[in-house]
Amino acid sequence: MSSGAAALEVENVSVSYGKFVAVESVTFSVGAGECVAVIGPNGHGKSSMVTAVAGLVRRGGTVRVFGQTLPAGSSRAAVQAGLVLVPERRHLYPALTTRDNIMLGSYSRTRRLRARQAWDDVAGVIDMFPELARLLDQKAGTLSGGQQQMVALARAMAAQPKILLLDEPCLGLAEAVARRVYDWLGSMTATDMTILLVEENPAHAVLVADRVVRMYKGLVERPEGSAA
Amino acid sequence: MSQFLNLLAAGLTSGAIYGIFGACLAVWFRVCNVLNLAVGDFAMLGAIGTARLVQTDHLPFAAGIVVDLAAIGLIAWIFDRLVLHFALDRGAGAHGIVSVFFYTFGLSLILEGAAKAIFGTDVYAAPAIWSGPALAIADFHVQRAGVLVIALAIVSGLALWAYLRFTVSGRAASACGESVLGSRIVGIDSGLFRRRIFIVTAVLAALFGIVESPLTGFTYLSGPTISLIGVVAAGFAAFRRPGRAVVAGLAIGVAEAMLGGYVSTTYNDVLLYAALFGIIILRPEVLGLSAEPA
Repeated sequence: MSSGAAALEVENVSVSYGKFVAVESVTFSVGAGECVAVIGPNGHGKSSMVTAVAGLVRRGGTVRVFGQTLPAGSSRAAVQAGLVLVPERRHLYPALTTRDNIMLGSYSRTRRLRARQAWDDVAGVIDMFPELARLLDQKAGTLSGGQQQMVALARAMAAQPKILLLDEPCLGLAEAVARRVYDWLGSMTATDMTILLVEENPAHAVLVADRVVRMYKGLVERPEGSAA
Repeated sequence: MSQFLNLLAAGLTSGAIYGIFGACLAVWFRVCNVLNLAVGDFAMLGAIGTARLVQTDHLPFAAGIVVDLAAIGLIAWIFDRLVLHFALDRGAGAHGIVSVFFYTFGLSLILEGAAKAIFGTDVYAAPAIWSGPALAIADFHVQRAGVLVIALAIVSGLALWAYLRFTVSGRAASACGESVLGSRIVGIDSGLFRRRIFIVTAVLAALFGIVESPLTGFTYLSGPTISLIGVVAAGFAAFRRPGRAVVAGLAIGVAEAMLGGYVSTTYNDVLLYAALFGIIILRPEVLGLSAEPA
């Protein structure tokens, strides 16, 4: 689905926790409208890389979104540039309602509004996740794992992302629920949405990805441009 | 009947004091999961600082209030930037129980020591904002400062409740306390919310100290007692609901006054804490503490 131009450029990105190097000089790019999956064994830096790209952990290197360089460690700048992450384990707000969780996805646009006005701004997102319509007033912490994953996806869509980052979106979900998540993801790839998917399970990744990048021990196994 | 009404007035006044400090604690805990054990010290600095500026330095009363509140806001900002920012945003300090209690407990000790060094051990009271004899309706008597205390508690509680309930900013503040990472994902600056609400509640506590001080007087040692009262009122509101903390504070104050008036003051504290334990154990859902399925 790529139109060729790079939507997301990751150049020499590295992440360290103290002396432990989790990600070492990783370079790759994602074309506009392309879905790229980053696969690899658990604990080899995939999640650290994607959270660094989203500005949630400190990093070295450069991240560009449609040519705009993002400051390191600024999730706010990443969101404002259109880069939105659906994190591993979702990180919802359990004591807030489903409605509030989704509405806060639009925070960078609606922060000065009343809650009701902000909800009106994003209510259309529910069309993508009809099963959430009856759960809007339920606290997110009381939802099932699959429902919570739908809320996390809806929250991301409320942000009107240009690039969607997904970190293990099916982790801990039953196979039937995982299939629904991937069906939805498949429908997204049919649009112009640019997607970077982190997935441990290659069988899931190939369902939707245009291209696959492998990470092993904090490194991209086969950097772009190198011989196959 | 007149005894009942006067006990009610006294109870509402002391209850408003419980409630407002409970509300200050609850709203900040809701945002960052840290208890502000220095809230009483900000009230103490409000009362003593204004009294000193007006009575000793001869500033006009309004100017004294403004200068004092600005100084307290600055102290709160500096503490956040120098301590909380590094400890909570950058992960430089210890976490868990240490972050919940220790940082603000340390601030309380520092403010207490500084107040002793600057103001000494005298009892201070800021001038009354609404001076004059007690208001009387038949046999019902209430101090004017008491009316202001009750009004300020109700207005502040309503304002905090409405902020959290009706605004996107209020929901975002709540989200920060629920999940720091989850809030950052959508572009919410959890550190900024923590800092703003810390400053607002510090200034509110100081303003309350100014209004309350004609009734109770303040020394440099008054802070911890007030903070403890706030913790109890916030406990009745699950440490997260400022509006409910004000209601709980008012109810506690009235119950104490009635017990003191009709039974004995000896068992007030015992009954207060027994009621809190009883609710936590038997009806945790009343406080919003019941376990929820994942």
